[in-house]
Amino acid sequence: MWINMGPQHPMTHGLWNLRVKIDGEVILDCDPEMGYLHRGIEKISEDRHYNEVVTLMDRTCYVAGLAWEHLYILAAEDALHIVPPERAEYIRTMCEEFQRIGSHLMWYSAFVQDIGLMTPFLYGMRDRDLVLDLFQSYSGARMTYEYMRVGGVRNDMPPGFTDHARRALDWLSDRFVEYDRLCLGSDIFRKRCDGLGVLKANDCVATGVTGPMLRSAGMKRDLRRDRPYSVYAQLEFDVAVADAADVTARYLVRMEEMRQSIRIIRQVLDWLDRHPGPVLADRLPRWLGAPYAPVGKEEYVLKRNYPKGVGLSSIEEPHGEAQAYVVNEGGEHPYRVKFRSPVFANISAARHYLIGYRVADIPPIMGSVDVCVGEVDR
Amino acid sequence: MQSEDLAKALAPVLGDRVLGVEPFAKTAGRVRFRADAALDVFHAVKETLGFHHLSMVGGIDWVTHREVFYVAWSDALRQYILLSTDIPAEAPHIESATPVWPAANWHERETWELVDITFDHHPDLRHLLLPDGYTFHPLLRSFKLHEPEELEVKKRSV
Repeated sequence: MWINMGPQHPMTHGLWNLRVKIDGEVILDCDPEMGYLHRGIEKISEDRHYNEVVTLMDRTCYVAGLAWEHLYILAAEDALHIVPPERAEYIRTMCEEFQRIGSHLMWYSAFVQDIGLMTPFLYGMRDRDLVLDLFQSYSGARMTYEYMRVGGVRNDMPPGFTDHARRALDWLSDRFVEYDRLCLGSDIFRKRCDGLGVLKANDCVATGVTGPMLRSAGMKRDLRRDRPYSVYAQLEFDVAVADAADVTARYLVRMEEMRQSIRIIRQVLDWLDRHPGPVLADRLPRWLGAPYAPVGKEEYVLKRNYPKGVGLSSIEEPHGEAQAYVVNEGGEHPYRVKFRSPVFANISAARHYLIGYRVADIPPIMGSVDVCVGEVDR
Repeated sequence: MQSEDLAKALAPVLGDRVLGVEPFAKTAGRVRFRADAALDVFHAVKETLGFHHLSMVGGIDWVTHREVFYVAWSDALRQYILLSTDIPAEAPHIESATPVWPAANWHERETWELVDITFDHHPDLRHLLLPDGYTFHPLLRSFKLHEPEELEVKKRSV
């Protein structure tokens, strides 16, 4: 018998439909149906100035907006032959790591609620607010930041930001003991998560699964280390891995990633304290759109004279490996923008980690995938 | 690996099925290949060069023709490779990469419905993001963003 779990179902965390074929309680087959949130972001991007696409990036993944802005900006800068100042690169790296903490805490809150633990949900949301407060202090928004620009970032940090951020990190780094005791110390959690949704490393590679799911299978692949972008080559951190490839292993990987993110941000904050400077490149073409450069420092470049180019960027987004492909054909809008969403690939492998388990196992398994439908459907 | 090394490694295996290798962004290079030899190229890139992980498949509508591109990653080289081929706009079709990289499944479904490129022998070529029965291909240049919206507004106001 085929049953629908979704599009409105507590397990989906968004708007999508998981069709499952069941025999009693056992899952025989499954077929995820996507597209309920398709807004045509790739198409709309073809009709926007380069800086205006940043606005769409916040909506692509609404729990990791800054990471997606970073992804797009890296590709757009390659396509437009623009080099940002070093301070902007450090700020972006900090944004991405804070976003990783925010996204993982959002995942933690939603995931534990799926398996029936209410208290950790409140703890996770409380601590995520600290990260959002920091975002608000420099970008003015808590969810749709519109902070990054081609050639840098919109504005520098407010005075006293680094101290404020360090206090938040001190608080966050003490919380992991609490999280682990609430989850790993709970019999309910262990019984509902251990040995479920196993996806071995070989299957991960064949089906294109990346991110914490791949690292939980013992494969040490992290683009921040394997193919460093931005300033990751100058920063020290470890890649979080686990072996069991099940739901608990994914929990462990994400927790360790948050600890490593805190380690990275501390190094970046120290750097930012020592190196003041500009955060936007000078003399940017005027047709990039949106506020872009200090008044009087814009450059009037005729768009038909501007050199063509392509950009392909890949970053380790909180959910996995994301890619952007931007084609600049000399016009003031990108000719084509294509995004690779990590969750898109992770859900497409659903058959490999759902078949054989029971219907009641679906919420913890799909919860451990960390689904963000905005970036799947785009 | 640079694009010259890539060209040297591919030449003995694929011969004239590869049309050229050029440097591309921060990848190992862009391999342009003949569309009718797609499966051979995928096999060679995966088995001989070790690009086991397919990241994405996408299409570009160049109006005169269409381009299909594949991005793959190698753990040994820690690099991406970009494969691309041009196909005519009249009957745009190419062999599916799913026998070589199962990960191509959903990416090809998406490219089929958005850019109108048919993937032959795809196991399950259905709509993914768009509703079933939708006959438009939104990422084609001929699909203008504003016209459908204006038509709908007129209907409602009458």
